[in-house]
Amino acid sequence: MKQTVTKNGVGAWTERKYDVEKAAGTLAFTDDLRFGPELLHARAVRSTVAHGEILSIDFSEALKVKGVVKVVTGKDFVHRFGLYLMDRTPMAIGKVRYMGEPVALVIAESEEAAEEGMLKVTAKYRELPPIFDPVKAATDNSVLVHPELETYDHVDFITPFPGTNIGNWFRIRRGDVDKAFSEAEYIVEEAVNCPQIAHGFLEPHCCICREEPATGDLTIWSTAQSAFALRDIVAKGLKYPLSKIRVIAPPIGGGFGGKAGMTVEALCLAGAMNPDVRGRPVKLHIPREEVLLTSWVRQAYVAKIKLGIDKDGKIIAIRNTFYFDTGISAEYGANPVRSAGYSSTGCYYIPNVWTDSYAVYTNKPFGGAYRGFGLPELMGAMEVVIDIAARKVGMDPIEFRLKNILKPGLPTCTGMPMNNHALDTIVGKVVDRIKLNEKEPATRKGWVRGKGFALALKAPAMPADAASSAIVKILGDGTVELLAATMDMGQGAYTAYSQMVSEELGIPIEKIRCPYPDTQSHPYDWQTVASRSCWSMGMAVKRAASDARQKLLALYAEYWQVEPESITIEHGIVKCRKKGKAEPIDEHIQSGFPMPDGNYKGGPVIGTGSFVPPDVIYPDAETGQSPKSVVHFTVGAVGIDVEVDPATGAVEVNKVSAGYDVGKAISPMNVRGQIQGGTVQGISAGLMEGMYYDEHGRLLTPDFTDYKIATALDVPPDLDAFWEETPEELSPYGNRGVGEHSMISPAPAMDNALFDALGIRIHSYPLGRERVYKAIQAKKKGETDLWEYPYALEQSYKNAIKEWK
Amino acid sequence: MKRDVHFILNGRPVTFSVEPRTTLLRALREYGVTSVKRGCEEGECGTCTVVIDDLAQKSCMVLALEAEGKSVLTVEGLVGPKGELHPIQQAFVDEGAIQCGFCTPGMIMSAYAFLRKNPDPTEEDIRVALAGNLCRCTGYIPIFRAVQKAAAVMRELGHIPGRAR
Repeated sequence: MKQTVTKNGVGAWTERKYDVEKAAGTLAFTDDLRFGPELLHARAVRSTVAHGEILSIDFSEALKVKGVVKVVTGKDFVHRFGLYLMDRTPMAIGKVRYMGEPVALVIAESEEAAEEGMLKVTAKYRELPPIFDPVKAATDNSVLVHPELETYDHVDFITPFPGTNIGNWFRIRRGDVDKAFSEAEYIVEEAVNCPQIAHGFLEPHCCICREEPATGDLTIWSTAQSAFALRDIVAKGLKYPLSKIRVIAPPIGGGFGGKAGMTVEALCLAGAMNPDVRGRPVKLHIPREEVLLTSWVRQAYVAKIKLGIDKDGKIIAIRNTFYFDTGISAEYGANPVRSAGYSSTGCYYIPNVWTDSYAVYTNKPFGGAYRGFGLPELMGAMEVVIDIAARKVGMDPIEFRLKNILKPGLPTCTGMPMNNHALDTIVGKVVDRIKLNEKEPATRKGWVRGKGFALALKAPAMPADAASSAIVKILGDGTVELLAATMDMGQGAYTAYSQMVSEELGIPIEKIRCPYPDTQSHPYDWQTVASRSCWSMGMAVKRAASDARQKLLALYAEYWQVEPESITIEHGIVKCRKKGKAEPIDEHIQSGFPMPDGNYKGGPVIGTGSFVPPDVIYPDAETGQSPKSVVHFTVGAVGIDVEVDPATGAVEVNKVSAGYDVGKAISPMNVRGQIQGGTVQGISAGLMEGMYYDEHGRLLTPDFTDYKIATALDVPPDLDAFWEETPEELSPYGNRGVGEHSMISPAPAMDNALFDALGIRIHSYPLGRERVYKAIQAKKKGETDLWEYPYALEQSYKNAIKEWK
Repeated sequence: MKRDVHFILNGRPVTFSVEPRTTLLRALREYGVTSVKRGCEEGECGTCTVVIDDLAQKSCMVLALEAEGKSVLTVEGLVGPKGELHPIQQAFVDEGAIQCGFCTPGMIMSAYAFLRKNPDPTEEDIRVALAGNLCRCTGYIPIFRAVQKAAAVMRELGHIPGRAR
């Protein structure tokens, strides 16, 4: 019998936690915290060349600026940091590797003085030849971004190649691809590329660090998605005990991966831990135009995919080559490369697989975690190539996809059986809602209309031992404090957790509070990334709440002298119908119950829960095979209906339909929010986003004037977001991750829609107006494909295609 | 050299002592009104939007000294005396129009100034009115819904609470 009753449990549409404070403007973000007149401000001085030896840094003039306290350089703070590969220093030491890399940090009494000081620092360089083309960097070792790669520590599951620019090489080897290709009726070989893109969170990075002068204890307040991962990375880099580092993570203004791991904190520590500064808090607020030069962006990629297809339209072999342009650091970027690699047959069952996925160093700002984590890159190419293949084979693209679909139980490319899902149903709904099989006339005069479709899939990409833990405290008035160190950055984690606690404890959601992470009070959680939180932390929260319930029931059972099974908790009232008892939870729950024998029992009721995925095994380094490489895959589909103005290349989206199999929607309001928000972010990326550089490596698109993201005017008038619920076996409530998935496939669906509208295939993202216009002009000249690869060797991928007749 | 500037902040007369180069955004934040967010300080993102004499303006593009004699309204100023949310704020909460919340104060202030001029807008009107306020989380769709809902609530009320002076 279920012993709890609540209105706002799992699956309820309910108000989101902290929205009232956010609407009132009173929720304090990191930049809103106050530290008094002791606070110092830091500003980075940045390199003006993309690759060069530092000959000298002259900051004597900066020290003359009123208010400047100290200038530190890379040599003053020699520590390497990194989540998976310790290739990052907060400031350049001896050599700069990209234009914009910090070479010094000016610390001053005010932001204005720090800025003035920054402008007075000069550095001299002996320039070295830079490398920007990821294909060239991967295949030609004449310029090495990290000649010291051999000396960097890294986790076992990534494989850097010293003496090259390869920061990680992930492989899949299954079956005999050469034999399968020789037997195939059709060979399709295509390439797709995409530049780096930016997260575009509205809150720039901000961090305050203070070292306690007497003990060396560090406190870090930061715009961090993952307080504990940040603490781990800082501790490893500084060789500091974990217990001497406290990370406080106030609410953050958007993350999307861009505030995962460690971002700007080490740079701030370089100031705060300086002997002349120690004891005073140092604040580092990154100005908007430096955000993309300071921490990671999404990696650029060049993907080549070769398919072998039999006469019935079954894909029998695939050969993938993915070059991820990771810029100067692969410390985090090594892992999306792996994530794309171990998902590299997409949503399809393909028996023979050969995949090489590379993280390639270049002299650009660096790539790392971004919503979708390797999968928007993989699917951005895969779903376009599948569309091309279907047309070559002469099949309807939907029929071709369904014929090859990765049905539950079939092996993924790493050999693990695919989990249960309702992808067939989702495909059917998207096709219907977008009227994919119906050619409709354009609604705008003189425009042309097209429809496109793409599948999506993603697993949480994380180490096998990514653990979570939670504490549920029932307070003396029947309210609850839940300590779960997930960062609620808008996705609604605290609402979902509160719904879980309400479900397990029968306490109304209004009485449940979930404070923002502080490593000093909260128990450990690996990271808020990978769409893992509602699942992994969800397991811990459910266990903690159940533990608290069991303790509460045992105490009331003895107090009332009844069986625990006869007690219920209904809307915060503890009841025993048999005995006619009904009491609100009161101070006994924290002070102890006076039992019939005259003794007090209990004391504060605290439930605890821990979780680590029990059965994930790293893929074999040579073959990529594993009985269970990841915890589960969430699948979905996107359909897009677009119109194009042939005169200008303008693209307008009429309608989008996007559905995902979430297993169970814990918090439907937030699931809808994630699907809608991610879909618009995906359309924005697909239509208009890209980071561009001049020939010297200078970023041309540092801020929102030059780096456009979707505004209110760019949102489709009709966005249908839906989900199916095929339960996941190992899961708190059957739920699977969904936060990232909506970002994955709008771009390829758009590419396919543009092909439908225009009859020419665009191989380069974004699908901006200028590029679409060029495609229209190329089509008039009889071209069938448009590529715009920025670098020379990337261009060679044009030759990848047309092996078929 | 600092100079004094006098204006009405959320209905209360205030005097700030500021450098001539200090923006209204920085002055308000320094004073403790931190709902005005620093998203870019370049006039691009709209997170610092305030209403100055009925007009929504990006406070990073206004010098503090320019506020002399004016009325400046921030999102804190929309909250009623008993802590009750303004209908626009409430609609944002009800409709799931908030995710991270960083754009929310500026977005609400743009909506406030807009609804005072256009109490019965179409969705297209709303899109144009909010085009200067970026949001990366929600995809804007629930925001459009919230503004429409707030407009309906205020038409029913017959007036707009928290009127700027």
